[in-house]
Amino acid sequence: MTTRAGVRIGVALLQLVVVCVGVFVLTTFLPGDTAEVVLGPLATVDQIDTLRGQLGLDRPVGERFLDWAGGLLHGDLGTSLATGRPVVDDMGDRLSVTVLLAVLAVVVLVPLAVALGCYGGRRPGSPADRIITATTTVAQAVPDFALGLLLVALFALQLGWLPATAAGTVGLSGLTVAMLVLPVAVLVSNQLSRLARQVRIGVVEADAAEHVVHLRRLGLDERTVVLRHVLPGGVVPSVQQFARTVDGLLGGVIVVEALFALPGVGSGFVQAVQTRDLPVVQGYAVLFALTTVVVNLAADLVSAKLVPQAVRL
Amino acid sequence: MTVLGIEPPPVVPRRARRRGTVTRRALRVLGVVLLAVPLLAALVGPFFAPSTAAGGVPLQAASPEHLLGTDVLGRDLLGLLLQGGTTVVTLTAAALLLAYLVAMPIGLVVAARGRIVETVTIGLLDVLLALPSLLVLMVLAATGRRSVVWLVLAVAFVQLPYVVRLVRGAAAAPACLAALETMTMTGEPWWRVRIVETGRRVLPPTIVDATTRVCGVVGLLSSANFLGVGLDPLVVDWAVVVDQNMTALFLRPSVVLLPAGLLVALCAGTNLLVDDLLERRS
Repeated sequence: MTTRAGVRIGVALLQLVVVCVGVFVLTTFLPGDTAEVVLGPLATVDQIDTLRGQLGLDRPVGERFLDWAGGLLHGDLGTSLATGRPVVDDMGDRLSVTVLLAVLAVVVLVPLAVALGCYGGRRPGSPADRIITATTTVAQAVPDFALGLLLVALFALQLGWLPATAAGTVGLSGLTVAMLVLPVAVLVSNQLSRLARQVRIGVVEADAAEHVVHLRRLGLDERTVVLRHVLPGGVVPSVQQFARTVDGLLGGVIVVEALFALPGVGSGFVQAVQTRDLPVVQGYAVLFALTTVVVNLAADLVSAKLVPQAVRL
Repeated sequence: MTVLGIEPPPVVPRRARRRGTVTRRALRVLGVVLLAVPLLAALVGPFFAPSTAAGGVPLQAASPEHLLGTDVLGRDLLGLLLQGGTTVVTLTAAALLLAYLVAMPIGLVVAARGRIVETVTIGLLDVLLALPSLLVLMVLAATGRRSVVWLVLAVAFVQLPYVVRLVRGAAAAPACLAALETMTMTGEPWWRVRIVETGRRVLPPTIVDATTRVCGVVGLLSSANFLGVGLDPLVVDWAVVVDQNMTALFLRPSVVLLPAGLLVALCAGTNLLVDDLLERRS
C-alpha cells in the first residue's frame, strides 16, 4: 500500500513536470514571431521591440525556461503584460471568488447527489428512478453556457427573481447570494448525474447484499437498515467519482464565470487568453493543471484507503 | 428461501416496473424528437437557408423578409440557425473519427505487446489526463493557434487516453481471447490475430463508446466557441452566434436562446438515446 501510494505520488509529480514543460513549450514556440503574434498586425516596430525585451525573447530558450520554472517554485509567475502587476497578485484577488463558488457547488452537490442516488437506487426501474436518471443525464449533457442562458432567460428575464450577471463586482465585495444562485445551479446540474448514478449503483448493490437482506428478514426496522447499512455501502465507492466531479467543476468554472461575469480565476483566464497576456495564461494554466493533479491524487489515495480492492494505484 | 417465514420485501412492485417501462418508451420518443430537430437543421438546413450576409438592420423583429428577425450584426436569424449546425456536426464527427483512428491501433498494439509496453503507454497517457480539456484549447487560442485543424486536433487529442484505455480493455476481454487463441494455434500471423481479428471484435463496443462521447465533444467545442477561443468569429456556428449576440439577451432574447436551444436539444436528444442504447445492451 505504502509503495503503491509512493508510486502514485511520483506519477502526480511527473504529471506536473510534463504539464509545466507543455505549457512553456506551447506559449514559447508560437506560429511566427511571439511578440508579433501577441501584439497583432497593427503593432509598431517599437512596440514589438519593447515586448521582446519584456518577454526576454532575446535570451536562449533554455535559460528562459529555467528562469520561469525557478520562479514557479518560488511562487513567482511573472508580470502581466496588460496590467504590469505580478500575476500572483491578480490571481490572489480572483481566487477567493472561485473558491467560494466551488465550495458552494460542492456543498449543494454532494447531499443532493446522495439523496437522489439513494431514492432511485432503492426503487430501481420505477418511473421515479427513470425520471431522475433521465433528467440528471440531460442536464449533464447540455453545455454549461447553454443551460446557463436558459436559466437566465427564465429566472432573470421572465420571472425577475434573480440578477442575470454579477457584472461590476470586484473580488468578493459587492457579490450577493442572489448572484451566485444561477452559477451554482449550472455547475451542480452539470456534475449531478455522474455522482448520483454512482451512488445509485452503490445503493442498488448494497440493498441486495446478503447481509442487508438478512437484517430485513430479522425484522430490523427499515430506517436503520438504510441509514446504517445501505447508505455507507452505496456512498463509499463514490469517492473517486467525486474527484472526477471536482475535475469537471474546474472546467465548468471557466465557462460559468465568463457567462455570469463573476470576477474569479476562470474569467481571469478567459480575459488573459483574449488579450494574449502570455505570462498570465501560463500562470492560470499551471494553476488549473496543479489543482486537477492534486484533486485526482487525493481521491485515488482516499479511495485506496476506503476500498482497497476497487482501486489499482 | 425464507428465514422464519418472513419474505424480504420486493424492491419494486410489478406494476411500478411496468410503469417504468412506459416511462422509458416515452423518454426514447422524446430523445428522437429532440435529436431530429437540430440534426435536420444541421444536415438539410444549409440547402434551404436564406443568406446570412451581415450589414442589415440589427435586431429587426420578424417580417416577411426575415422570418425570425435579424441578429446584432443584421444577419438573418433563420439563416444562422439553418447554417450554424453544420460546423457542430462535422467538427464533432471529424474529431471523434480522428481520435478513434489513432487510438484503435495504439490500444490494439498495447494489448498485444505485453506488460512493459502496456505500463509505459498507459502511464504516458495518464500524464495527459492531467490536462483539463478546455485548458488545452485555451492555451492554443492564446498562442495564435486558432483554426479548424487545430480545434479538431486538440479535441481528438484530449479523447485519446480514454479511448486507448477502452480499446485495450475490450481487446483483453476473456471472450475475445478464447476465440483468438484458436487462431494463434492454427498458425495465423500475430498481426492478423491481434490487430485485424481483435480489431473487428473490438469495433462494436468502441462504436458504442463513441456515441457516449458525442455530447462531451459537442459541449467542449461549443464552450470553446462561446468563449471565443474556438472557431473564427466569421464562421456561422450556433455557439459563435450565441457569443456574438450575448449583448442582445435583454433586448431580443430569441437571438441568443434559439441557437442555444438547438445545442441543448442536440445534446439532450443524443444523451437520451445513448442512455437507452446502453440500457438495452446491458
